[in-house]
Amino acid sequence: MVRSRGERLSDIAVYLAMALLALVFLLPILWLLSLALRTQAEVFLGAARFIPEAPTLDNFASVLRDGGFQSYIWNTVKLSALGAAGAVGFAAPAAYAFSRFSFRGKGAMMLGILSVQMVSGLVILIPLYRMLDRLGLLESHFGTTLLYIAAGVPVTIWLLKIAFDTIPQSLDDAAAIDGLSRLESFLLITLPLAAPGLISAFILNLILNWSQFLIPFIMLSADEKWPISVAIFRFAGASSAATTQLLAAACLLAILPALAVFVILQRWILAALMAGAVKD
Amino acid sequence: MQREQPGRAALPWLLPSFLLLALFYLYPVFEALRLAFTDARLFDATTTLSLGSITGLWGSAPLATVLRNTLAYTLGSVLGQLALGLCIALLVVRAERARLRGTLVLRTIVLAAWVIPAIANGIIWQLLFSEAPFGAINSALRLIGLAPVAWLSDPGNAMISAILATIWQGTAYSMILLYAALRSIDQSLYEAAAIDNATGFERFWFITLPHLRPALLVNAILIMIMTLNMFDTVLALTGGGPGRATEVLSLFAYNTVFRGFELGRGAALSLLLLVISLVLTVCLTLLLPKGRK
Repeated sequence: MVRSRGERLSDIAVYLAMALLALVFLLPILWLLSLALRTQAEVFLGAARFIPEAPTLDNFASVLRDGGFQSYIWNTVKLSALGAAGAVGFAAPAAYAFSRFSFRGKGAMMLGILSVQMVSGLVILIPLYRMLDRLGLLESHFGTTLLYIAAGVPVTIWLLKIAFDTIPQSLDDAAAIDGLSRLESFLLITLPLAAPGLISAFILNLILNWSQFLIPFIMLSADEKWPISVAIFRFAGASSAATTQLLAAACLLAILPALAVFVILQRWILAALMAGAVKD
Repeated sequence: MQREQPGRAALPWLLPSFLLLALFYLYPVFEALRLAFTDARLFDATTTLSLGSITGLWGSAPLATVLRNTLAYTLGSVLGQLALGLCIALLVVRAERARLRGTLVLRTIVLAAWVIPAIANGIIWQLLFSEAPFGAINSALRLIGLAPVAWLSDPGNAMISAILATIWQGTAYSMILLYAALRSIDQSLYEAAAIDNATGFERFWFITLPHLRPALLVNAILIMIMTLNMFDTVLALTGGGPGRATEVLSLFAYNTVFRGFELGRGAALSLLLLVISLVLTVCLTLLLPKGRK
């Protein structure tokens, strides 16, 4: 197919627009990188030194050498992974019931679960703060993880229901003829076949949990318990012009794991987002 | 082939999630409702029943300012994300149809911003908007001979800066949802329009936009609720300042409870947030074409 001159001109316009947009979305991250690679003297030169003349890795080194930073990252990994696993674990049986059983009020229940998402973290965190306080779970990773799980369960139920819906019901029926119980056919047949959906849901939870700020900010006051989001916020508050390059390095290191997971596992995350988009 | 009484059979499967949701959503919402009718303070067990928390809100000067801020911030962020998200989605679909390369790169870059934690987003944009002589945007402006702008210290500009930062981060979500909706439009409609010699604008106005209406509305509902409830970006970028210029309702509720320790009033504010979310959702749902609800 030969493209006409007009079409080729408009192709060029599309390319230019795409390049411009890519630049707009990339520049803030590149600026962060630029600051993180500079010495303090070069930070004060502003945009004129977008590409540092004497790039240095000292800022990264001094952030990484800090014992606190390692503990923040470890706390974030722990809270994010346990929260994501817990959300998938709690949501899977419910999603299976919504996918396989027919019962009265099912549609209303599904909508109810979706509307739970509308409740701001602030509404529930005020009473939950007091509840966890009474239970002695304040300041603990256990209590905080429970909140991460609760935050993830509603969306995860929806995502997993969509995933289970794609697995043929006939497999369940065949399993029943072979004498498997519901639980056995769920564990041995549906779950393994739904693995891509489970992984998508887990990763989406992981990324959302990495960003989680409000829950740990309110529930954890001890420095050694903080995830990176809280730590970086505190660090930014205490930072001055003289430590800009360190703040940039810390900020970049804080978002790097999430960016890496995203770039490597993009396919799974898009699958989860698109599943939600189509079903909405 | 159902082997059990269907309704009762589902119960054990649903129970764990339902208990969790009851404990972590239902109970707190009712508890917040109860607290709103008291004068409870954060670190004080003794409370008395009072309407002061609710009645005290009305007519108080901060609330009026805060509500105006919330309206500007939410409207600006949502419209900006929808418009930019739609532009990128249209561009990507257009490029894919012409088999141009690079669409995956653009999509990945836009989505990367979405992955960045909102609190880090606030910090990044604080570095960009920094009014120090070496701040990113201002020093770039000076390089090309333009005067620096008071991005964060001027009340009007600070709101615009907060909206820009929010749009930059959130657009990816709209882009993905609208991209999925664009891809589902029947191509033969465009072929028919081409036979009728429809212009590009006519095709967009009479085919694309009507088909996107449900997706746009659903998208608007979702990001409006997200924007109303989120305050990480604003907290890290401006802290609500200068003065109260960027203090939105969620941040105000947070400050009332965890800085002012006024639990009752904070609960009332957070419920106001919930009521606004509910009303907006109902309004926008009514605009959806029938059969899509």
